[in-house]
Amino acid sequence: MKLHRIYAMLLKFWYITINRPDRIFDIFYWPVIDLFVWGFASIFIKQVSEVSFLSMFLGGIVLWIFVWRSSQDIAVYILEDFWGRNLYHQYSSPVKISELLIAVMLFAFLRSVATFGVLTLLAYIMYKFLLFSLAPLIFIAAAISILSLFGWVMGLFVTSLVLRFGQRIQVLAWSSVWVVQPFSCVFYPLSALPQWAHPIAKVLPTTHVFEALRAVLSNNPVNIPSLYYAIVLTIIFLGLASLLIKKAFGHAKSSGLIARGD
Amino acid sequence: MNTIVVKGLKKSFGKVKAVDNVSLEIKKGEFFGLLGPNGAGKTTLINILTGLLTKDSGTIQILGKDPEKDWEEVKNKVNVSTAYFPLMESLTIRQNLNVFAKVYNLKNPKEKINKLLEEFELTTKADRKVIKLSSGEKTRTSLCKGLLNDPEVLFLDECTAGLDPDIAEKTRNIIKSYQEKHGTTILFTSHYMYEIEELCERIAFMAGGKIITMGTSEELKKLIKDQTIEITVQKGHAELKKLLENEQVDILHAKNNNIIFQVSEGSEKIYTILSKVFKAGFQLSDLHIQKPTLDDIFIKIARDPKK
Repeated sequence: MKLHRIYAMLLKFWYITINRPDRIFDIFYWPVIDLFVWGFASIFIKQVSEVSFLSMFLGGIVLWIFVWRSSQDIAVYILEDFWGRNLYHQYSSPVKISELLIAVMLFAFLRSVATFGVLTLLAYIMYKFLLFSLAPLIFIAAAISILSLFGWVMGLFVTSLVLRFGQRIQVLAWSSVWVVQPFSCVFYPLSALPQWAHPIAKVLPTTHVFEALRAVLSNNPVNIPSLYYAIVLTIIFLGLASLLIKKAFGHAKSSGLIARGD
Repeated sequence: MNTIVVKGLKKSFGKVKAVDNVSLEIKKGEFFGLLGPNGAGKTTLINILTGLLTKDSGTIQILGKDPEKDWEEVKNKVNVSTAYFPLMESLTIRQNLNVFAKVYNLKNPKEKINKLLEEFELTTKADRKVIKLSSGEKTRTSLCKGLLNDPEVLFLDECTAGLDPDIAEKTRNIIKSYQEKHGTTILFTSHYMYEIEELCERIAFMAGGKIITMGTSEELKKLIKDQTIEITVQKGHAELKKLLENEQVDILHAKNNNIIFQVSEGSEKIYTILSKVFKAGFQLSDLHIQKPTLDDIFIKIARDPKK
C-alpha cells in the first residue's frame, strides 16, 4: 500500500466534488431539512404535551450523519468510476482496491465531519442544542467512531453488490442505510420496537450507540459493556464486509465487469 | 530478451472461448501488431495483460515478472491507452492527468503533463471536462495518460480510432518517435492495415480467440499467393481470353478489351503468362499487377480462419 496512491484517489474524489455542485450541496441539504423538521416537531410536541424530545431527536440526527454519510459516500464515489467510465484506466494502473477503499472511507469521513459541523452550528443557533455540552467528549468520540465504522461496513456491502451485479443495483447506494435506520433506534428506545424486531436491532452496533446516547442525554449512566459489544459487532461486520468486497472484486475482474467498465 | 511471454493463455466467458490457447513472445523494444476481426480476442488478451481481467489458465511474464505475483511492480512500468475508454468524464483533462501523475508518483508532474498536452495539441483544452471533448480529443487524452509514466511496455488498443487523418498521422509519429527514443515495447491493435504495416515490426493475426499466424508484414503477405493482373488490349480481346483460359487462371472480369484475372501460383506463373501474351503479338495499352496486401489477409482470415 502506498500513500501517494491513496492521496491520488483523495485528489480524484476532491475533483469530483468541486466539479459537481450536487456533490457539495448534498453535504448539507437533507441533514438541514431533517434538523428543521424534527426540531420544529419536537417544539410542537413539547407545546402540547410538556414532554421534550428535542435533545433526543437532535442528538440522533446529528450522530446518524456518520452512518448515512459514510455509507452513501463510499458507494456513490465508487459508482462515480462507473458513471465516469474510469474503471478501465484506474484498474489498469497500480492503484489497489485497498488503497481506493481507504481513500474513499477517509473522504466520506471528512464529508461527515463537514455535515456534522454545519448541523452542530445550526442546532445551536436554532434550538440552543449543543451535543458537546450534554455528553462527555470521550463518549461522542466513541460514538462517532463506531457509527462511522458501521457506515463504512454498509458502504462496502453496497459496493460489493455493485461490483458483483453492476450498475443495475445502484439504487442501493442511496437506500440501503434507510433499511437499517428503523432497527437502529435512532429516535426511539429499543423497547419501542415490536418483539420480533429486537434480535435484528440487537445485532446492529448502531442500536447500542443510540441507546447509550439517550442514556447520556437523560443524565443516566452509559451502559459501557453495551458499547464494547457494539465495537466487537462493528469489527466483525467490518471483517465480513472486507471479505465480501475482496470476493466481489475478484468476480468483477474474472467476469469482465471491470474491463467492460459497466 | 523477451519483454512479454505468453504461454497457453485461455479465457472463456461461459461457452465462448475469448482467448484460446494463445502463446506469443514480444521482444524488448519491439513494435508488435495484433490484427483480427471484431471479437477475435485482441482486447481480451490486452485486458488480461493489463490486469483488468483474470485468465483461466496459462502463464504470463511481463518484464521478466509473473504479474499475478506482483501486479504493483509490473503496472508501474506498463501503461495502456484505448479509444474506447476516455479518462474520467466528470474531470478535466488536467485533473485526470494530475490524478494519474500522483498514482505513478512522478517527480515533475506539471512539466510532464504540459509537455504531453503540447505534443498532443491539447493545451488549450486542458481545463475542459473530458465529457465535453470530441472523440478525437478523448483519444488523445487517453494517449497522454498512456505516456505519463514513461512506460517500458505500452498497450495501445485501437488508439487512433476516431482521429482525423491529420491528427492520426501526428499521433503515429509521436508514438513512433517515442518508441525509438525510449525503446518501449509496444503491443498495438488497429483496424487500419496501413498503420500496422507502417509501425509494426511483427504482426499476429487473431481470429476466434486463437493466433492464426504471426510474422513480418512481408512474411504474412507471402502466405497469400493470389496476385491480380489487369490487362487492357487494343484488339483481340476474345483471343486473349482464350489464351488465359488455357492457362487455367481465374478470370474475374472480361469486358471491353479489359481482362482482370488472378494468379495464385506466384510470380513465375505471371512471367510465363505475360511471355505468352507478348509472343502472341497482343498490343497492350495497359498492364497492372497488384500484389496481396494485409487487407487481403485480414479479409481471408476474417471470413475463414480455418483456411
